[in-house]
Amino acid sequence: MQEALAAYLFLLPFVLSLLIFFGYAFVRAIYFSFTDYNMFDDPNWVGLANYIAIFRETRFLVALRNSIGFSLIVTACQTAFALVLAVVLNNKIKGIAFFRTAYYMPSVASSVVVTLIFLWAFQRTGLINYVIEWFLQYWPFLAAFLALAAVLQLLQVLWDRSRGRPVRWFEPGAVLTSLMLSAAGVTLLWATGTLSPLEVEPVRIVWLNTRRSIPEGGGWLSLSMPLVSIMMLNTWTTAPTFMLLYLAGLQDIPRELYEAAAVDGANRWQQFRFVTVPQLKHITFLVVALGLIGSLQMFDQVAIIGSAAPLEAVITLAYYVYSNAFPGGALPRVGIASAAAVILSILTLIAVLIQRRVVEGNG
Amino acid sequence: MADARTSVNVPAATAAPETPAELERRNAAARRAWARAGLVYVLLLVFSIFFMGPFLFATLSSLKDDPIEWPPRIDPPQLKPANWVAAWRLGKAGGGSGWFGSFGPGAEVPFEVTYFVPDGVEPQAPIVRVPRRLPGAGIGAVRPGAFAADYAIVSDVVETGRKPAEQDGVTGQLVTYSFTIRHNGEDVVADRLPLDLEVPFRQTFHSATLAPNRIERLGRVQSWNNVTPGVIPYVFYNYTRVFQENYSRTTGKNLFLTWIGNSFFLAVVKVLTHLVIASMTGYALARLRFPGRNALFMLILFSMMIPGQVTFISNYLVLRDGIFGLSRLWGQETLLNSFTGVILSGLCGGSAVFIMKQFFESLPRELEESARIDGAGPATIYSRIVLPLARPALGAVAILTFQGVWNEFFWPLIVLTTPQDKFTLTVGLLNLRQAYGAVALDWGPLLAGAFISALPVIIVFLVFQRYFVEGISFTGIKG
Amino acid sequence: MQSGRLGRFLRPSTLKTGFVALLIAVLIALPAAAQTTVRVSGWGGTDIAIVEELIERFVRPAVEPQGIRVVYEPIADAYETYIVNALSAGTAPDVFYVDIFWAEGLMRAGQLEPLNDYLAKSSVLRAEHIIPELLDAFSLNGQIYGIPKDFNTLALFFNKDLFDLAGVPYPDADDDWNTLADKLRRVAALGPDFYGLALQPEYARFGAFALATGWEPFDENGHTNVLDPRFVEAFKWYTGLLADRVGVHPQDVGQGWGGGALSTDQVAAAVEGAWILGFLRDSAPNLAYGAVPLPKHPGTGQRGNLIFTVSWSINARSQVKEEAFKVLEALTSPEAQQWVLERGLALPSRAALVDNPYFAQPDPEAQANLVVFQGASDGYVHPFKFLNYGGDWMAPINDALGAVLLGELDADTALREAQQRFDALTGR
Repeated sequence: MQEALAAYLFLLPFVLSLLIFFGYAFVRAIYFSFTDYNMFDDPNWVGLANYIAIFRETRFLVALRNSIGFSLIVTACQTAFALVLAVVLNNKIKGIAFFRTAYYMPSVASSVVVTLIFLWAFQRTGLINYVIEWFLQYWPFLAAFLALAAVLQLLQVLWDRSRGRPVRWFEPGAVLTSLMLSAAGVTLLWATGTLSPLEVEPVRIVWLNTRRSIPEGGGWLSLSMPLVSIMMLNTWTTAPTFMLLYLAGLQDIPRELYEAAAVDGANRWQQFRFVTVPQLKHITFLVVALGLIGSLQMFDQVAIIGSAAPLEAVITLAYYVYSNAFPGGALPRVGIASAAAVILSILTLIAVLIQRRVVEGNG
Repeated sequence: MADARTSVNVPAATAAPETPAELERRNAAARRAWARAGLVYVLLLVFSIFFMGPFLFATLSSLKDDPIEWPPRIDPPQLKPANWVAAWRLGKAGGGSGWFGSFGPGAEVPFEVTYFVPDGVEPQAPIVRVPRRLPGAGIGAVRPGAFAADYAIVSDVVETGRKPAEQDGVTGQLVTYSFTIRHNGEDVVADRLPLDLEVPFRQTFHSATLAPNRIERLGRVQSWNNVTPGVIPYVFYNYTRVFQENYSRTTGKNLFLTWIGNSFFLAVVKVLTHLVIASMTGYALARLRFPGRNALFMLILFSMMIPGQVTFISNYLVLRDGIFGLSRLWGQETLLNSFTGVILSGLCGGSAVFIMKQFFESLPRELEESARIDGAGPATIYSRIVLPLARPALGAVAILTFQGVWNEFFWPLIVLTTPQDKFTLTVGLLNLRQAYGAVALDWGPLLAGAFISALPVIIVFLVFQRYFVEGISFTGIKG
Repeated sequence: MQSGRLGRFLRPSTLKTGFVALLIAVLIALPAAAQTTVRVSGWGGTDIAIVEELIERFVRPAVEPQGIRVVYEPIADAYETYIVNALSAGTAPDVFYVDIFWAEGLMRAGQLEPLNDYLAKSSVLRAEHIIPELLDAFSLNGQIYGIPKDFNTLALFFNKDLFDLAGVPYPDADDDWNTLADKLRRVAALGPDFYGLALQPEYARFGAFALATGWEPFDENGHTNVLDPRFVEAFKWYTGLLADRVGVHPQDVGQGWGGGALSTDQVAAAVEGAWILGFLRDSAPNLAYGAVPLPKHPGTGQRGNLIFTVSWSINARSQVKEEAFKVLEALTSPEAQQWVLERGLALPSRAALVDNPYFAQPDPEAQANLVVFQGASDGYVHPFKFLNYGGDWMAPINDALGAVLLGELDADTALREAQQRFDALTGR
């Protein structure tokens, strides 16, 4: 009894703030969603009218579609990317701390800063288009480099094998030599003028202010170009956070498991597939859950991009809620906003539950 | 990897003499390990370019006159030492210091400019103008100050040299002109000396004492914002603009510093409330038995899943009414536009509680049991035994909270709307986006502002990065 | 009984003591009067600096002696949102900006104080001082709900160098759509890097051309018809300029808007308002530009134009309306407007300022300002407002323009799609 009393004292500040700023707010949001509240007049009960209204509204359906597509794709991309990064970083070599710091940089800066930089990079004469143009000009170099490296690698491995050395196809030493020789070779080709940059049309892709979608004409299945741009941005900023989660998980996998797998003759890919991935299952659950929750709430990017992209192309549920609660120059439509918010939370709960099933079932 | 390296360094003598075949195999293994490390480094570098590149390039571009120039250069004039030297000299010649130039009494600014003139065209001396230029569309438009144009006397333009040259396959000559600009006023100091030079159409600009900021009118006009800049305003032109133009005309305070201060203040206070409340709550959830424990834990998990967009309308109304009128007790009608409101509405987040609970559960119970047998109550156990052990988890909560508050945008945007010196840095940045993006996006000050606001949190990150990494892992690893 | 007491009160001796008492009361009340605070709000960004200067220079000296304290509270973001919320919460400022674009909702909701009575009493500010077209924009059913602080209209800004280089006469006030297009075509013929007119995919620019045909944004039933032949003609003319580089999407020269396009020395002309001037001052201070009225429609012989304006309005629930109006008077005083005009910040709303010597100056900025100033009363001019639809009304047209100018749709399909959206929005 005394312990319970102490516990309640310990809990008091948190529970108080949780009840006021979450419990009360959540109940009120549900209540508002059944009313026509507009912050001026007293709310009137309207039943399911708000829910029916939003499902008839194109903008809400677009927002719903955008949110779901955005969330699924971003979560998948950032989870895979985070895992790859973590595996690469999970090497005990000098200077790894530096790289970990470098990778984490996009996650440290605020979404406002990152979105500003992103807006700048996605201008028509911005960095992204320049990199693409550069790539289009120089892709023969890259192709020549890769081809040359492949040939050199093949020659080295065949040579070594002919002399009876047990080398693998991707023998690290040989790969390094091939890459370096290939780089030298391409430089030579460039100097002699055999290879030269291609003449290309200037790249002026409109990333943000466009109605274009990918794939073109896919109807409800295609995603708008600006939304795809934001997906790239979001993957870039959140993957490093999840990378750290994976990194912590990787360091907890007992070495013996790999050794046992190696004894059984598993190659690196098989070790990754049958040891690393299952061992990281609980991390994956967490990463996917956090990813889904975070990406379903995406708001900052839409707000800061503002007029730089058509609203229909980038609107998400979170922004839909905001824009109805505080519409410019009109009375707040709190009822509509709350109904959409309730649907957003149901969506979040369903997503987390489903993915839990999937991850557990896959174990 | 580490194993491989040690195996290289271990002298062969420690083991029994090796056969050549064994030696060969060991050497091969060592070579393989080194090569693998090399490959990993290459891969790591490629990824670093991917993650750091945009930041570094944005930082570089924030120095440029036109950050979206095409093609983007990686060597803008602001990064050329020759221009630093020129900016220093001209800053001194203008009567200011080498670091911060100005145009004051006694100034005598020498200037030299070279044009390429194709054969068959008669070279002409440029028309030199010190324009009476108002700062334009930005916040600088109402900035008071003296115009250099009212005090500047331009000497005759003298031709000082010709030499033959070839440019893009056209032969011609390089013609150099020089002139000086004198200040004839008594004691009026202008903070800048803008300059325009105009030449006939086919005479093209080649070089000058200081690289111009713009070439206009299809090459006929070369234009400088300031030819007596001093090093800092020359290299960090956009940064000086952000600082000079963003001050409150009511209080005279520099807004950017105020916003940074506000964000720091809120971050520090919230870190403290999070530490205290999360550790208390986490401890109670992990160790104490009380009715409703599971229900509370589920509620916390649930609250972490529900998006802020669901609760913000009610919370906005609650703050508007001063938390059911409670704020009147300390004389505040409403908690909108007040830091108290922001702090009270975000005393402690569910994830912080979650981290602390997970951590406390991982601690061995024995320590507490023995204290309990000695008759210590929960409060004593918590403050004397558990809390000192919780340093890593507290560090994680502190650092994650700091990062979260520093970067928070949605909620401050709704609560802190006026006056300007109440903004946090993120809201301030949005204000900047509007100030410099009203008619066209003026990327110079925008990128400079973004860089300045990212800097503090990057520094905090670099100093405490160990805690960042641990903190992130805490949220997951024991989950 | 009543009169008896009054009579006693009026006796000289009581009158004297009464006077003393009154004097004391006034003296005590004075500091209280000095506490009267009028809160003023505007939006953030560039505007803050201007309003702060205005208040410092003109408002405080005028109203502080009358015991009115002025507090300026600029709003960082989502200004309209803030105003609506603050009105709902009863925390709204006393005097604040209202953009014509969303004014109608607030006027209809009775959130703004009608100013007719105040104007009738005032010695400094009367309805007839203000340019009538601007005042109309803020009027509803005969009531005036705001005093325009400044305004803007559209004009054709052009790059003199390019016309000189091509040997083409400058655009002038007599040009119609065809003669202008012809001049632009000849400039664009200079080379593949040169273009005629910057074509922004926005009703805020294109609207002027649609109006020139005599098309009306709303018919008598409040419906919008973009399949009207007049609208279709303007739409096809505007988007058709893209051929032969007579027109160019600003993005194709790496710019986000007409002003940016003009500053590149690649584009001969742009349709903009006086807001372009500050930008040019910063980004292309030496650009040799001129400004002329928009071209006339060859059929109607008229120009179209849009008026962009913002008013100072008074909160209908303010506790200090009389004082608020005094502040409003000072904010829109001739001296304040003169200062704003001379600094090249905005065009004044007072009709008398058209004779200001500023406009007679030879420099291109003053000339351009004059053209924009006169645009308010030349031809088919509509304020930039759309009943109470706000920005939702423009979206279908903007999207159609954008899709056609970027080559994503053809004009007929785009207009059909736009009409469907208007049918949903404004009814059939």
